[in-house]
Amino acid sequence: MAASMLCRRAVVLCRTFKGVSSSKTANSQYGLLLQTASYNPRPLKLNLHEPYIPDKDNAKTPDWQKTARYDGKLYGRYGSASGVDPASLWPSHEQLDKIIAEENEWHPPLEVLLKNIEAKEKEETEKRLAKERLIAANMAKMPKMIADWRREKRETKQKQKEEKARRTTLLAQARERFGYAVDPRSPKFLEMVAEIEKEEKKKKKLMKRRLKEEHAAAPVTPPAASS
Amino acid sequence: ILPRISLANLRPEPGDKQRGRGQHGGNRSGRGHKGERQRGNRPRLGFEGGQTPILSGYSKICRRPQYQPLSLKRLQYLIDLGRVDTTQPIDLTQLVNARGVTVQPLKRDYGVQLVDEGADIFAAKINIEVQRASEGAIAAIERNGGVITTSFYDPISLGILIKPIPFFMRGQPIPKRMLPGEDMVPYYRDAESRGYLADPEKIQQARLTLAQKYGYILPDISKDELYHMLAMRKDVRQIFFGLSPGWVVNMPEKKILKPTDEKLLKYYSS
Repeated sequence: MAASMLCRRAVVLCRTFKGVSSSKTANSQYGLLLQTASYNPRPLKLNLHEPYIPDKDNAKTPDWQKTARYDGKLYGRYGSASGVDPASLWPSHEQLDKIIAEENEWHPPLEVLLKNIEAKEKEETEKRLAKERLIAANMAKMPKMIADWRREKRETKQKQKEEKARRTTLLAQARERFGYAVDPRSPKFLEMVAEIEKEEKKKKKLMKRRLKEEHAAAPVTPPAASS
Repeated sequence: ILPRISLANLRPEPGDKQRGRGQHGGNRSGRGHKGERQRGNRPRLGFEGGQTPILSGYSKICRRPQYQPLSLKRLQYLIDLGRVDTTQPIDLTQLVNARGVTVQPLKRDYGVQLVDEGADIFAAKINIEVQRASEGAIAAIERNGGVITTSFYDPISLGILIKPIPFFMRGQPIPKRMLPGEDMVPYYRDAESRGYLADPEKIQQARLTLAQKYGYILPDISKDELYHMLAMRKDVRQIFFGLSPGWVVNMPEKKILKPTDEKLLKYYSS
C-alpha cells in the first residue's frame, strides 16, 4: 500500500496529508485530483522491501552513515521500520538554544525591522530636506548676485571707454602741440601728460577754493535779499 | 541670466593640448604613439580586452533577487489543460508540479512574478500566491473574483516549497518561514501589492480602488460558494497549506508527527 502510494505524484500526497492533518479523508476528492495530478509523474525510486539499515557498531560502516542527519533520512525513507527514535528528529534543547540565539542575532522580529526602516527613512528625508533648503537659500541669493555681476561688468566697460577716450584726446593734444604723431611711450609725451595732469590738479584746487568761498559768502546774502 | 556659450567665449581648458599645428606641440600632441591611447577610443571601464572581467563576478546585478516570470496567458493555459487545479489554492508547489515555472533557489531565484501578459483573456477564479505581481495581473485576477497574495520565502523555505517530497524524505521538521529583509519589507507590507504582511482591511480598500481604476465591478467573495477556498491564507511563518512549522511528515507510513515538548512548541509557534 505504502509503495503504491509513493509512486503517485507529489501533489496528491501533499493534499492527502492536508486531509490527514485536518482529520478528514481525502477520498472524496481523489478521482478529480488524480486526473489533474497525473501530468508527467516522476517515479520515486525506493526499495521498501529490503531497507538498508547501517550497522552503527560495525567499523566498516562509513562515518557519514552514523550521523543524526542520516538517521533522519532513514526515518524519512522507511518510517518506523528504520528503527530510529522519532524524538531524535527534532533538535535537542542545547541545539535549540543555539538556534534561538542565532535567530535572535540574525533574524530580528518584524517590529524591529519596521522601526529600523522608519529610522532610515526619516534620516533620508531629513538629509533631502536639508539639501533642498540649502539650494533654495542659494537660489534666493541668485538675482542679487547676477545684478552685482552685471553692474561690475558695466562699470569696467565704462571705465575702459573713458580711458580710451582720454588717451585719444591726449594724443590729439600732443599732435597739436608738437605737430606730428607722438609715440605714447616717448618721454616727450609722458612729460606732456604729467604737465597736463598738474594743470588739471591746479584747476581743480582753484575750483574747490572758489566753491568754498562762495559757500561761505552765500549764507550772508540770502537774508539781505529777503528783507 | 548668464551669457550664452558661444564661439566668442569658448576657450580650451587649462592644460589642454592641441592636436596638429603649433610650433612644437603638433607632432604627437602629448598622446604618445599609436593605438587606443593616441586615438582616444579606449574601451569602456572594466573591459579587459575580451576576457571575463573580474568585477562581473561580484557585480551588484548578479546578487539581485530574480523572479521567474509567469504570465497570465501561461497560467490560463495550465488551468485549461488541467495541470493546475483551481478548486484548491495555488502556490508555488502547484505551479512547479504543473511544470508551469522552473525555480532555482541556488541561482538567486526568489520565486515567481505574475506578469499581466494575457490579462484580457484570463478567465479563472483562483486563489493564488506568488512572490511578485504587476498591477495589471492583480486587476485581472480580482476582476474574475479571485484572490492574490504576494508572499516572501527565504531561499531555504523556497527550496522546501518547490520540492516537498525530497524534503519530507529527509525526515526533518518543517522549519519556520523567515521574514523578508529590510529592503523587501515595504513591498510585502504594502496593500497595493497585496503583500502577506499587509493589513487585511487595507487590502480590501486597495481591491476596491483598483477595481475603480480599471473600471470593473469587484465580485463579492464572501457570498461565493468557494469562499472557504478563496479565504485560505498561509500564516506568516507557514510554508505549506495545512502543515505547521515543526511537524515531521512521514511519507512511507503517511503520518504526521507533531512535537509535544514545550520549548519546541514555543520556538516553532513564535
